Amino acid sequence: MPSQGLAVRVLGPAVLAVVALGGRAAAAEELQLWSHWADHETKVAFVEEAVKHFEAQHPGDTVKISWYQKPPLQAALAASLQAGQGPDIFYCETGWSEYVDNGLLEPLDDLVDWSNVEGWARDSWTFDGKTYGFPLEVSTVEMYYNTDELAKLGVKLPESKQFDQAEFEDLVKKAADAGITPIVQGIGDRPYPGAYLINETLLKKLGKEDYDKLLHGGLSFKDPRVIESFQFVEDLVKEGAYPKSFSTLKLGESHYYFHTNPGGLLFPMGSWYTSRAFNPVDKGGQPEDFPLGIMRFPAPDDAACPKCKTLSVGGSFCINANSEHKKLAGDVISAMATPEMGTKWLTTILVQTGVKSDASAITGKYKPYFDELSALDSDTDFYIGQPLDYMKGQCAETFKQVMNAGFPAGQVGVEQATDMMDAACYTD
Amino acid sequence: MDRAVRDPVLAAGRTGPLRTSLTTLDAAGTRSPWLERVAASWRERALDTPFATIMAFLTPALLIYLAFTAYPVLRTFYNSVHIIKPRGTNEFIGLKNFVELLTHDATFLTAVKNTMIWASIGPFLDVGVGLLLALALFSSVPFARIFRIAWFTPVLISYVVVGIIWMWIYNYDWGILNGFLRALGLDSWTHAWIGDPNTALWAIIFTHTWKWAGFNMVVCLAALSALPREVLEAAELDNCNWLKRFWFVMIPMIRPTLVNLLTLSLIGKMKVFDLVWIMTQGGPLWSTETVSTYLYKRAFTWSTFDLGYPSAIAVVWFVVVLSCVLALKLVFRERGRLEY
Repeated sequence: MPSQGLAVRVLGPAVLAVVALGGRAAAAEELQLWSHWADHETKVAFVEEAVKHFEAQHPGDTVKISWYQKPPLQAALAASLQAGQGPDIFYCETGWSEYVDNGLLEPLDDLVDWSNVEGWARDSWTFDGKTYGFPLEVSTVEMYYNTDELAKLGVKLPESKQFDQAEFEDLVKKAADAGITPIVQGIGDRPYPGAYLINETLLKKLGKEDYDKLLHGGLSFKDPRVIESFQFVEDLVKEGAYPKSFSTLKLGESHYYFHTNPGGLLFPMGSWYTSRAFNPVDKGGQPEDFPLGIMRFPAPDDAACPKCKTLSVGGSFCINANSEHKKLAGDVISAMATPEMGTKWLTTILVQTGVKSDASAITGKYKPYFDELSALDSDTDFYIGQPLDYMKGQCAETFKQVMNAGFPAGQVGVEQATDMMDAACYTD
Repeated sequence: MDRAVRDPVLAAGRTGPLRTSLTTLDAAGTRSPWLERVAASWRERALDTPFATIMAFLTPALLIYLAFTAYPVLRTFYNSVHIIKPRGTNEFIGLKNFVELLTHDATFLTAVKNTMIWASIGPFLDVGVGLLLALALFSSVPFARIFRIAWFTPVLISYVVVGIIWMWIYNYDWGILNGFLRALGLDSWTHAWIGDPNTALWAIIFTHTWKWAGFNMVVCLAALSALPREVLEAAELDNCNWLKRFWFVMIPMIRPTLVNLLTLSLIGKMKVFDLVWIMTQGGPLWSTETVSTYLYKRAFTWSTFDLGYPSAIAVVWFVVVLSCVLALKLVFRERGRLEY
């Protein structure tokens, strides 16, 4: 029957097309991604571009991104993951190992393309042989300074770009006497910046091995070297090293304080300083002609490792162990893990990354900064991880209250601070 | 067809008790005699036992109450004797959480101390200031209408906004408080008000009072306005001066209102969270830590994922708050009702 044959020939493909389209529509998935960096324009643009790449590779599948500030993100994740829900992909940090301990993270070894990720960065997310996070953002702890202010004080930075303990104390005293805030720092909305100086001092004084023991409860805060390090910082505090508004000054405000108003001499900060400071001035960036310099943290007397410095893997992405779209979620992360995206991160966000990237792509006015940072890091011995990456529970809480806040604010002395830290952290 | 014939209920209403007046529809009608009997039986039962009707109205509210109040409370008690971990891991540990909390947890004890300081002082400040403001309005101070609006406005502002405003006011570098002191030449008095453990709690208590005094003012003003004029006039005729009228006449007469305000305020202070979280998050050095902020930290920011220990804190504090409210009621109980 020709008419029947015609019907089959015409309608058959049409039916198949409808079925195929229907099937495709049914397979189209919407993934949820929750991320920190709500107020970081360039990071938002980076993640959105990676999502666009993913969506182009997976027609029909979409990713809904929710942007947060970090503390509310942590609270939302804790509540939702605990209830067996939550997003498919979320921002995470290496310090959140309790997520691994509680089986909330999906191992990424077979889900993500690791060929373009630095091995050491991947190692920081490896627990018991499995990798649980994608290490996107990497930073080091740096001591930024205003070169003009240093010159005004008549102090010359040594060739090694590192003052010794006495020189540094003298520098702080000179700045305070001259009415310049010696060390700009604020802890109003962060649990860690106040401890940068004491952390780096302890790392240099103890060396990597003993510093690691200290952070893991294997070394007492009553160790004489620890006491000496605390004493050094207390002396600086007594000289008026920190601003009077130290306890309430927020992170963003502290950046502005350092580079714009009222200004300061030194600014210990993660190397992600540039992700804020290298923005246009009207978006909170430093003034165009700001004389930014980088020096090493001071070398304490009898330092075991004066060239040691903290490197930490910061902003990362993880996959929810309860996600129904693990493979797709892995593909979203893989879309960030390409050399092109790594270079894009480096050149637009101006912060290091765990993704293999081409540093030579950085050109223009910020190139000298990165050259200087690179030269400084060339003979540096890195310790991977911030104290809060390893401290948990009461120890972490005491670190936040004492080492980050009370001690550098001069509210507790060396003896009391080390007593409190020992009581909360020392387990041997 | 007559509407009463179509509608048995209407028919019943017209002719008497429902059970004796059911009307059957015609043969071609829509309802069978069997259905009619069932419907009648249901109506009969409903009339005989109004319990069913009551339940029909109560059930939605009851379900909401059970789901969102009773169950969470009972679950908190259950959690408090378990280690609760994600992925359904519950381990019974008896009273271990309570022992740890009451004997080893120094931060909890600090939080209790701070909360109790606040709860003992805050209600009297809130109600006292509110009463004074109400008296000012009651005695018709100039611009009373403007003051009433101005003093009540903080109540309408959210905690987030209040917290931010007062963080600005207390700011060391450019806050208006330190600016004022500097303008007066009192530079040595300038202070990091919420950054110093010695002043932080008091600064937040002051802010909280600023926010809630207006609410207490309105309630006190309503109570004062409801006082019988003849009693106040009689006191005036008896040569009672203003202070005595206030102390011996007004206060006793508005005492129930004041006690209720104090009770409400006490409960509020025992649970205070928002303002502290926004302004200090319990710091510096735990000097503004309250039980609620500590509970929240243990549940959500310590990332231990254990809900058992925070539940134990909640249970202990529930008992403490209940005891305090009962004690307050006992202390301020009326021995004889005032009649006027």
